[in-house]
Amino acid sequence: MYMTKRTKWFGFVFVIPFLISFLIFWLTPLLYGIWISLHDFRLSVGNNGFIGLQNYVAILTPTTLYHDVFMNTLKNTLLFIALSVPPLVLISLGLALLIDHLPNRLKTFFRTVFFLSYAISVTAVSALYLWLFGANGGFINNILLKTGLISSAINWTGDQPYAWFVIVVATVWWTVGFNMLLFVNALDEVDVNLYEAADLDGASAWNKFRYITLPDIRNISIFVMITTVIASFNLYGQSLLITRGGPGQSTSSLIMGIHATVFGNNQLGIGSAMALLMGIIMMLITGLQYWASYRNKREETGQRREPKQRLKRALNAGPTNVSQQPATTVEKKERKIT
Amino acid sequence: MSKKSRYSFLAAGFVLATLAGCTPGGSGGDSGKTEIKFINGFTGGDGDYMTKIVNDFNESQDEYTIVQSQEKEHYTKFKSGDYHLVVMHETNLETYQKDQLIQEAGPFMEAAGISEDDFNEAGIQSGLIEEQMFGVPLDIHPLTMFYNEELVQEAPTDYEQLKQLGETLQSENSNLYAFGLPSTGLTTFYFTVAAAQNNIDLAKEGYLNFTDDAYADALMQYHSMIFEDNVSPEKLGLDGEFQAFMKSADDGAKQTAVTMTGPWYYQAVKEKYGDSLGIGKMPTLFETPATTGNAHTIAVAASVDDDAIKDGIAEFLTFMYTPENLANWAESGQTVTHLETLDYISEDPEKYDLANVNQEQLEMYTPAPRVYQFDEQMRYMNEVVFTKLTNEPNLTKEDLMKELEKATKASKQVADTQPE
Repeated sequence: MYMTKRTKWFGFVFVIPFLISFLIFWLTPLLYGIWISLHDFRLSVGNNGFIGLQNYVAILTPTTLYHDVFMNTLKNTLLFIALSVPPLVLISLGLALLIDHLPNRLKTFFRTVFFLSYAISVTAVSALYLWLFGANGGFINNILLKTGLISSAINWTGDQPYAWFVIVVATVWWTVGFNMLLFVNALDEVDVNLYEAADLDGASAWNKFRYITLPDIRNISIFVMITTVIASFNLYGQSLLITRGGPGQSTSSLIMGIHATVFGNNQLGIGSAMALLMGIIMMLITGLQYWASYRNKREETGQRREPKQRLKRALNAGPTNVSQQPATTVEKKERKIT
Repeated sequence: MSKKSRYSFLAAGFVLATLAGCTPGGSGGDSGKTEIKFINGFTGGDGDYMTKIVNDFNESQDEYTIVQSQEKEHYTKFKSGDYHLVVMHETNLETYQKDQLIQEAGPFMEAAGISEDDFNEAGIQSGLIEEQMFGVPLDIHPLTMFYNEELVQEAPTDYEQLKQLGETLQSENSNLYAFGLPSTGLTTFYFTVAAAQNNIDLAKEGYLNFTDDAYADALMQYHSMIFEDNVSPEKLGLDGEFQAFMKSADDGAKQTAVTMTGPWYYQAVKEKYGDSLGIGKMPTLFETPATTGNAHTIAVAASVDDDAIKDGIAEFLTFMYTPENLANWAESGQTVTHLETLDYISEDPEKYDLANVNQEQLEMYTPAPRVYQFDEQMRYMNEVVFTKLTNEPNLTKEDLMKELEKATKASKQVADTQPE
């Protein structure tokens, strides 16, 4: 399309707000953060000069206080990611599928109900879970004790693995609605004709999900997994307010460690170096996820399956219901799908 | 605040903005009056009492106005903002003085017509750094004993009495205990009281040394109080000493008859127990009577150099340190150290019941060690060691000593960050 010089400039004007925001809120802080991490910068007394990579050395040298803080909180954060991402993805997908199968008039209601918790502040969520899981006279302990399921109270927030359990449950309850909404929208985009054709040919519910639904929501699933990992990396409020990083610093997250280094120890240079290392680790993990997704996609592209082929696979895998035709019959008939 | 510090906070803002996002604060005031920006951390029940003093001052003034900010993270805000006055704990004075964030308070006290002689010894010590006043003494908040008179008639004075009380209560109901030890929360006070009541000085060459054998024995006594003597329930969690005092054994929860906690819980316990609430001195859990805690002082920012602001600060101090005004602070439960105010409140023991009891124990008040970054030097002890003492029945002295060595190592490294 032919564009006049004026049109080009006009287009550029629309990009300027983004560029300004990008420079002010992303590039400048990043560059400033890198610069600070190379200096002996204290929150209280300011910049004591360029020290090269000494802050990074202090973090990566096993005998230092900052190494202990960084490695312990990194280990805790990675554990939280491993514990929280699977339920956050799977439960949200489950809820989305549930909503997808509801009558239209109920869909909006349940979508709102499941999303509602996402609108609550972390302070309120933490207060609620502290009350529920209080070790001494908490709601859950009272119920378990009264029903005889346990003989003595469980120290939910003060003993492991219970402390992680409470944090993960609180996080899932709080944020699952957001992922669910993304999945609901993705499910709306799946071609209903494929389901109808699969129904006609007797595909089981699992096979329809495996060979029709999952491939169609693949992109959004990858997006949800990546953003959930990033969100879990940023664990802060729940562990700060529910367990205070305990018991024995076992739920202290990377951001809590950075916060303590900067605002407790006044070590802004070391805190910035920690934040940058955290950013690098996050980028590596995200890159790994992209790579794994891309590799699978490329493999799949090599044996590209059109909707007709996917439907055929759904049928070949066989029905689970006895009233449906056996897979072999379907295979033998080589039904032509239109 | 120095230019360097402002830059550093700007930089910290960048770090935080990328981590969490932040909202800048703001302040306002009456036009035409000189504004004095005053920040404190009184966000609980005591906040209203300080606000009353500030409001009364503002109403009495044509020339100056105090713009007060009450913030949970008030130290962080102080480092960042342009505040003139700050309420500072005695344990932080040394750090802020060494970081050159506060200036000597003596000249302001002089201009306000107050001197060291106007305060009791605990108050004077709370504001002193190397023989100079850097904080105007406001109050001492020692470990305070509250007790439920329905379960115990008189305040226990030593551990033997508490142990006996525990046995009596346990025979009545297995959910009733003498007192509670928290897993986390107010543990700094419990660590320092164990040192004070055993005459152990934790400070050593600028850092906190926890590896003293006698100190390890003292801490193991806390462990025995739970797992051998059954005087306190185990695993009470965050602020467990207070929470267990507020529970009811009839509901299946573990309830204590006594709590040794911060005086800021006074309003809460008074509301729950009313006339059945008893207030006592810190009992002797170890060898000698002593209590610890912390103190509030009022410090002046290093950046204050404007004469009008200086005059305004002096005016505010003059107003605050009159018995009628400072008594508001005593009413909140805090133990003021200003002698005239102490005389004033002793005339009304019912209205100022907590302050009156606590002033009696100021004689045995032992301040926390004065080291750079005291809270950071205590971090490992607070976050790891006390939890182990209250949660692990099989903890041995050898296990504890290993943890104390780790805590001392961390403490030394924090002390080494002190500016030269």
